[in-house]
Amino acid sequence: MSRPGAHGGCRDVVVSGLGVVSPYGAGVTRFWSGLAAGTCTIKPITIIETAGFRSRIAAEIPASVMSTLGSSWRRSRADRIALAAAREALADSGLQGRQQTEAALLIGAVGGGMLEGEHWYWAQTLGGGRPSRRSALRSILPFSHADTLGWRLGLTGPKETVVMACASGAASIALGADLVRAGVTPTALVGGVDALTHTCFMGFNALKLLDPSPCRPFDRDRHGMSLGEAAAFLVLEDAEHCRARGGRVHARLAGYGMSTDAHHVTAPHPEGMIDAMSLALKDAGLPATAVGYVNAHGTGTQQNDRVEAQALRQVFGEGGVLVSSTKSLIGHTMAGAGSVEAAATILALQHELLPPTANLETVDPEVAFDCLPGTARPARISAALSNSFGFGGQNVCLIFARDGS
Amino acid sequence: MTDRRVVVTGVGTVNAATVGGRDALASALALGRSAIGPVRAFDVADLTSRLAAEVDEATVASLVDRDAARRLSRICRLALGACLLAVADAGVEGGHGLGTVVGTEHGDFTSSRDFAQGFLRHGPAGLSPMIFPNTVMNTMAATAAIAMGAKAPSITVNQATLAGDLAVARGARLILDGRADAVVAGGVDELFPEVYRHLAETGALSPMQSQSPEGCRPFAADHNGPVLGEGATFLVLEELAIAQARGARIIAEIVEAAWGNVPTAPHTARPGRVDHDSPAARLVRSCVPRRVARCYGSGNGDPALDDWERALLDRDLGGRADLLPPRSLAPLFGQHGGLGALRVAAAALDAECSVPSVLVHGIARGGCRIAILVASLS
Repeated sequence: MSRPGAHGGCRDVVVSGLGVVSPYGAGVTRFWSGLAAGTCTIKPITIIETAGFRSRIAAEIPASVMSTLGSSWRRSRADRIALAAAREALADSGLQGRQQTEAALLIGAVGGGMLEGEHWYWAQTLGGGRPSRRSALRSILPFSHADTLGWRLGLTGPKETVVMACASGAASIALGADLVRAGVTPTALVGGVDALTHTCFMGFNALKLLDPSPCRPFDRDRHGMSLGEAAAFLVLEDAEHCRARGGRVHARLAGYGMSTDAHHVTAPHPEGMIDAMSLALKDAGLPATAVGYVNAHGTGTQQNDRVEAQALRQVFGEGGVLVSSTKSLIGHTMAGAGSVEAAATILALQHELLPPTANLETVDPEVAFDCLPGTARPARISAALSNSFGFGGQNVCLIFARDGS
Repeated sequence: MTDRRVVVTGVGTVNAATVGGRDALASALALGRSAIGPVRAFDVADLTSRLAAEVDEATVASLVDRDAARRLSRICRLALGACLLAVADAGVEGGHGLGTVVGTEHGDFTSSRDFAQGFLRHGPAGLSPMIFPNTVMNTMAATAAIAMGAKAPSITVNQATLAGDLAVARGARLILDGRADAVVAGGVDELFPEVYRHLAETGALSPMQSQSPEGCRPFAADHNGPVLGEGATFLVLEELAIAQARGARIIAEIVEAAWGNVPTAPHTARPGRVDHDSPAARLVRSCVPRRVARCYGSGNGDPALDDWERALLDRDLGGRADLLPPRSLAPLFGQHGGLGALRVAAAALDAECSVPSVLVHGIARGGCRIAILVASLS
């Protein structure tokens, strides 16, 4: 079968709203301040038991922040994080009334309310008798976030929950953009969320992919990733619709590429990454030289960083673009990562400041790029790429551009 | 990409009633025999719900070779078996133009349980790095994409009741938007003892504490809850011109698909709540002038959902009493993530035979609503 042609001739899509809840706290302002300062939030885990595990750290959303997000027996930790970020994004967009309620809702999710489900299941299995809070299971599945947000925000547009491992958040943006481009809906609330869960923490420990110290993406001596938790939502909007109502444009979603390795469930392959980046450039109608910055997937594992650097070299040439990994600051936020890092990329374009890679001391000789070690760097660029890759060989690459570029 | 059209060129199904391609499914639909029976795979003696539509283990064992069976979880084997049947039925090949969309409600809970139990029994040393990747719901799509060599987007959608319908709609969207030339789209779920027990004990399954006997009776006066099923059903969707160029046997066209939300609290159904202007409602209303000749619905015997679907269709179909209540396939195959794909496949087979235009409709607790218009190729 042939490769499908480039997307073209449809509506332009802009980002008109942003909302983030991250280990830095609630809100885009705190998120950007933390990234710009290069503050690493990876610390000892407090919300789950870690005794006996090789790595015992992660980037948690502080309890003091969680306490401000409101609580309900109906909602999981992840539901609460998602709802707060989504509300901020909608408020930021300035959409009102029907313009807001007709928005599509696409959420990238993996863990759902598994944290609460684990508490129930573990108590049932170990405790000899069932705890009374069976309601914990109400929100265990990933689609609970979409049902919760769709209800609380009164949204009537297309509603989808996308599960694409660590590329879920980026996929929600890509697939939401297609609905806006095709004219299915003028607005879409899109983003990803994950809270820390025992399953995720134990699983990556079992795979020996977690660094006992805060992760060091692209460092020669890196020892794995660090987990995190967060939610980020974007309001995507038909550019004409946004201009007609006088909305503010954060950036233009110039294009995206999505591919599948069809190679291995857990081992990445450079060909799939190259395909996704190349498709994104083609979709955006941009040459590789137009992209000034890549917010890398950059997990800090030996395999990911080596393969991603290889793919970047193929697409951009040696040293052809500035690269950093914000996972070194806020951990790998799983299904949230794609949208959290999309938000970071958009803010970098807006503020003309590229967030750094923390904990990077000696760059791996196989990584032929300036990875912005330690300190954010001022740079006025017109377009930037955000990479997200996940188990299952899922590759999603998003290109954002300054409005008008 | 508005000049692109989406057609169905293949079907693959592994369910409690039949296994095979379009002909096997057409036979099962014509026979109309329910595959629901007493649960055999686990003990339900202490429950009031004791029925399900199970895929027998001999069938599961026959789907993939022994080596693959050792590596793959049961739900992955169900999904992979149905995907391979679908691509064989359609005669499509893998590559950069072939995508995958898998809909599921529960994913691979068996692997999640096994992974957790390893820890609960033996501590950190009991954790299996082999099982962990299966705890992520996209494991079925990943397995299928690898086996089929499908390198276009591979997407998993998670949704109650409508997982299969939504996967087909998203698959069609990928083709319309030029993201893939062909997509293997459908749904899968397996019976999982803990979920069955939880739903039965909370009164979510037939007989729902009613006096009527247990059974799946959508839209009937004595409907008293759904009966669970399991299996996988996938359709091969293909861009029309490409399908025609390779001489594919086209079953039907996916004319349009729209989905939306009726804002409702999670897990609830509100028969009195309407969506005046969701995309799904607009599509259903626009179907009336097309003289839709048949309508499939997601009604599965859950009284609140049945009533809600009927009320919505009553309003949006403008009094077309001949279409109501909609046809339900739940009594044949049981409620599971593949049922929505079975609805679309049944509509496509109807359209291929004699029914010019078929509406596939669904509504889920929590408010997700979908409508897909399937028609013979004009």
